[in-house]
Amino acid sequence: MEILKIIKKEYMNLDLQAQTKNQVIDELATLLDQAGAVIDLDKLIKDIKIRESLSTTGIGFKIAIPHAKSKYIKEPTIAFGKSKEGIDYDSMDGRDAKLFFLICMPEDGGNMHLKALAKLSRNLIHESFRNALENANTKEEVLEVLKDIDKEDQYA
Amino acid sequence: MHKIVCVTACPTGIAHTYMAAESLDKAGKSLGVHMIVETNGAIGVENKLKEVDIKSSVGVIIASDISIDKTRFKDKIIIETTTSEAIKDSKKLINQLLDQVKG
Repeated sequence: MEILKIIKKEYMNLDLQAQTKNQVIDELATLLDQAGAVIDLDKLIKDIKIRESLSTTGIGFKIAIPHAKSKYIKEPTIAFGKSKEGIDYDSMDGRDAKLFFLICMPEDGGNMHLKALAKLSRNLIHESFRNALENANTKEEVLEVLKDIDKEDQYA
Repeated sequence: MHKIVCVTACPTGIAHTYMAAESLDKAGKSLGVHMIVETNGAIGVENKLKEVDIKSSVGVIIASDISIDKTRFKDKIIIETTTSEAIKDSKKLINQLLDQVKG
């Protein structure tokens, strides 16, 4: 269950208050900071925004995956957030984003973690997986959905 | 069944590379096209394209946000695009390539 080592209940907020793209990044990064995973919050946020400025991580299908490799995160972590209202995230399909994964990797993140992230990314392409995430109403339910990621072709 | 070889890559190599790859795979399945997708991500190169597969493919789709060396695809029809386009609509890319092959 590699993925469950990097995404934990403390890293989740199922009712984000953010109204803008920058606020989502701030809110999720702050969550990681409060859980003790961050070395320097301001600098981490800056790294995430630099990556975001290269091209939007609003991939469409109501999902955004801001991410960065950064010296200012202690270990690989993913913060997960949901916005009930939806947020204009400059998404590729023009629709508001509701599900957010903030992915933070230290510069020397191990291969196992990268593989777990690759699987998460692949799963996000499948509608059934996205629907399961969207319908998860508690942190436990989100973890239930995520822990199946390691099973091959679960949603293929 | 037509075979298409693909390469995906992005700057951080932790998300878009794999989403684009999965999207191409999924579109290939639904269109009945055999897709072989090499990912150039932070993990390194995975599913590296074999010369024999490149040779027997009808063409190449490169979905990348960084520059990719194309010398191994010499004489092949190549569609070059971004990972975003592949994530958004891989079917369109496959059809575009197949149209060029026919044309």
